[in-house]
Amino acid sequence: MKFGIFYELSVPRPWDGESEKRVYDNALEQVALADELGFDSVWAVEHHFLEEYSHCSAPEIFLTACAMRTKKMRVGHGIVVCVPEFNHPIRVAERAAVLDIVSGGRLEFGTGRSATWVELGGFRANPDETKKTWDEFVRCIPKMWTQERFGYEGRAFSMPTRAVLPKPYQKPHPPMWVAVTSPGTEIDAAERGMGSLGLTFGSFKEQEDKISNYRRIIANCEPVGQFVNNQVSTVNFLFTHEDTETGNKHGRRLLGTFNFLASQLVAARETYPSKSYQSLGLLPTLRREAAGPGDDAGVPEGIAIGDPERVLRACKMWESVGVDRINFLLNANETVPQEMVLNSLRTFAKHVMPHFQDSGAQAAAAGGGGR
Amino acid sequence: MPRYGSMADVRAFMPNPPEIQTFKIEPWKLKGAQIINLLAEVNGEKSDALLPKAMHPSIPSYAMFNVTVYPDSPVGKFGIGEVRVASRAGVRPRGFVLRSFVDNEAARRELANRWGYPIAPGDVYMRTFHDRVVARVSSQGRVVLELEMLDRDYIAGGDIQYLSSMHLARNKADGKLILAQIDPEWTFSRAERGRPRINTFDASAFGAGDNLVVENIISVSYTICDVTLGNIRYFCDPDRPAFQGTTQVAA
Repeated sequence: MKFGIFYELSVPRPWDGESEKRVYDNALEQVALADELGFDSVWAVEHHFLEEYSHCSAPEIFLTACAMRTKKMRVGHGIVVCVPEFNHPIRVAERAAVLDIVSGGRLEFGTGRSATWVELGGFRANPDETKKTWDEFVRCIPKMWTQERFGYEGRAFSMPTRAVLPKPYQKPHPPMWVAVTSPGTEIDAAERGMGSLGLTFGSFKEQEDKISNYRRIIANCEPVGQFVNNQVSTVNFLFTHEDTETGNKHGRRLLGTFNFLASQLVAARETYPSKSYQSLGLLPTLRREAAGPGDDAGVPEGIAIGDPERVLRACKMWESVGVDRINFLLNANETVPQEMVLNSLRTFAKHVMPHFQDSGAQAAAAGGGGR
Repeated sequence: MPRYGSMADVRAFMPNPPEIQTFKIEPWKLKGAQIINLLAEVNGEKSDALLPKAMHPSIPSYAMFNVTVYPDSPVGKFGIGEVRVASRAGVRPRGFVLRSFVDNEAARRELANRWGYPIAPGDVYMRTFHDRVVARVSSQGRVVLELEMLDRDYIAGGDIQYLSSMHLARNKADGKLILAQIDPEWTFSRAERGRPRINTFDASAFGAGDNLVVENIISVSYTICDVTLGNIRYFCDPDRPAFQGTTQVAA
C-alpha cells in the first residue's frame, strides 16, 4: 500500500488578493512535509470554473512547483481532461513530458473527461463525444512520447507527421491512469492496461468485486502504452489526531465542507441527458460516500478520519479489498487550520504508515515507469 | 462562505401565496404525462435575486422551462407550464418554481391547495410533429412561453434526471410561509432529446421581472411517463439556510 496526497485547491469566499496565494502556499508547504514523511505521491486535478471548490486549472504548473520542493514524491498529473476543447493532445503530451523531465522522471499521468456541466459547457464541449475523445487521446499520447515522429488522422483531431518534443524522461513513458467514476470505466481502464484512479464507490464488497474484475481483465489487456500499469488507487479524506474527539470533529467538518462545495456544482447528467454520463461523476460520488451512514462518531465507513487507530482500520480495509494506493484530500476551503493539517500528516506518518509494507516513498511506479 | 439566494423579501415576491390545506393527502397517480423540459443557463448575478435566502444558487445558474400535459387526473385532463430556477437546498438540487399556469380550474385549485403550486389560469398547448415537439403557454390570450424541441432523437428514460421542486406557499396549520418540497416519482415509457429552441419567454409573466436573462441554452428533452405526486415530506423556512430551517413532515 502506498499513500499519496491529492489537491483540488479550494478557495473560500470572500476572495481577496491573497486568498488563492494563501491556498497554494499552504498546499506547497504540505507537499514538502509529506515528501519528508514518506508519502509516495502528490496529485493535482484539472478543473475549470469550479468556484470555491477547485481553483486548480493549471495543475502541471502547480505540480512543477511541487517537484521543485520535493525529492522523492511522484507527481500525479491527474486527471488531465482529454477533451480537445479543453486541451489539444499535442499540448498534453508536451506539457507532461516537460513535467516528467523537470521532476527527474517522477510523473504519473492521469486521464479523464470531466463530469460537470460547468466545465463542459464552459468550453462548449459536446458531452456525447468525451468518452470517444478520451479514447483517442490515450491511444495517441503514448505514441507521441515514444515515436520519434507521429502523424494521425482521427475523429477528435488530426495532425501531419511531426516530432512531438520533448520526450518524457521515464522510459518508455510515465505510467498512465484513468479516473474511474462511472460504472464500467474500471473495465475501460483494464482493457487499455491503465491504472484505475479513484475507484471509490459502493461498499467494500462491491469494491472487491470491481477490483477483482479489473485484475482479471487487465491480465489479457491490449495496452495503449508500452507497458501495463496494473494498479488500483482510491481517493479518501484524511484528518487524524491523537485526541479522538479532535480527530472526529475536524474530520467531520472537512467532510461536510467538501460535501457542500461539491453539491453546488452542476453535474453533466443534471442538465444534459446523455448515455455518455450515466453517473453523476466523482463529485457526487464522493459526496454520497462522505454523507453515508456513519459509525458512533458519525464518520462513514472507510473514511480516514478520527484517531490513528480508526484511520489505520479504514486503510487496512481498503488494502484488504485489493487497493494499491490511497490518495488523501487534506482540506476543503481551508476549513482545517494549516497547522492542524500538517500535524495530521505527521500523526499519520508516525502511527499509521509503519503498519504498511512499501508505504514509504517509492522512486518508480510498480507498473514499469522509470528509467 | 457559500452563496445564498438574495431575494429581498419573499412576501413581496409572492404577496398572495397558495395555502397548503394539509400535509396528509391522497397521492395523485397521473398516467401518460407528456413533459417537455428545456434547460438554459441564465445570468446568475440577476437570477440570485429570484431565490429565497434558504437556497443556494447552482454553479452555473440555470433555469428550467417545463410544460406538462396530463391526459387524465382526478380532475380530468390538464396542462401546466412553469419556470423554475435551479438551486440547492443545502446539498440537494432543487428547482424553485417562480410561477405556473394551468388550463383547468379544478386542477389549479387542487394543485395549489395540496402541493402549493404558485399557479394561475392559462392555456397550455403541446403538439408532437415528426420533426419537432412544440409547447406553448398563454395567459389572457398572450403567449408567455413557447418552446420547441427540434430533430427528435430517442434516448433512454434512465438518461433523464428531473429535479424536485420547491414551492413558496403558506402552511394553513400555522399561517407561516414555507418552501414546500415537491418530489414526484417518474416512470418513463419514452424519452427523447433534441435541439432546443425558445421562441417566446416573457419573464415578467412568471414573476421574474428583469432578473431571468437566458444566456446559453443547454438541452431539451421530451418524455412520456407516469407521474406520482405524493405527500409533502419536507419543508423549509424561506428565510433560513436549509441546513438549519428544514422540517420533516410527520408520516
